[in-house]
Amino acid sequence: MQIMDFLSKKAIITDIKSTKKEDVIKELVDTLITAGDIEKRSRNKLIESLMAREALGSTAIGQGIAIPHAKSDCVEKLVAAFGLSKKGVDFDSLDGELAYIFFLLVAPQDSAGPHLKALARISRLLKDKYFRDTLRACEDDKAVTKIISQEDEKKV
Amino acid sequence: MSLVKKQLIVKNKSGLHARPAALFVQVANKFESRITVKRDAEVVNGKSIMGILMLGAEKDSVIIIEADGEDAQEALEELGKIISNEEDK
Repeated sequence: MQIMDFLSKKAIITDIKSTKKEDVIKELVDTLITAGDIEKRSRNKLIESLMAREALGSTAIGQGIAIPHAKSDCVEKLVAAFGLSKKGVDFDSLDGELAYIFFLLVAPQDSAGPHLKALARISRLLKDKYFRDTLRACEDDKAVTKIISQEDEKKV
Repeated sequence: MSLVKKQLIVKNKSGLHARPAALFVQVANKFESRITVKRDAEVVNGKSIMGILMLGAEKDSVIIIEADGEDAQEALEELGKIISNEEDK
């Protein structure tokens, strides 16, 4: 599985305006709606599911990364939005650090497999500090798509 | 105590996704021992959520937990329980 298989090219924000967890999630969901990946009528229910998941334990996995995710019947296949915050967001991370890099995943109901593979792929992508720093320095969506695609191609 | 290791089968029905990974790492960090988790050729740090997620370990996959240090045995027992837990917590 490659990142660009599920990352929506039109749902990339390089300057997240929100500074609160719920607002960041809303901003990322809205970008998926604008991109046409999710219908507007599913918005509130999806945000609710994402926040319910956060309530079970933060999806901020440390190293400045958060991967809010939920299952929803509003998608037929796994789809993701990407976001960067310049200021950082308090996402209740386990390591106490602010989150700067966001992958928001929406998976279809009854689909543990692709979701797990996507988490594995994202973790592998972001384990390298140099890559994380390069990613955080991206100024526009094209730059993000470019470096992620390059990493996808390196994968055996 | 020195190095101890144990082979386990992931029982959680959704595999080692974000929540069990976070739980695993929280427990792993309570111990002084160095914790390593292996799946096939992949070897990761058991105290890093990203590490555990990188394994992409679905239900019924086989993993090996290795603990090295004074409290290794205890760590292995507690961590083993998380892996063998069938409930999706």
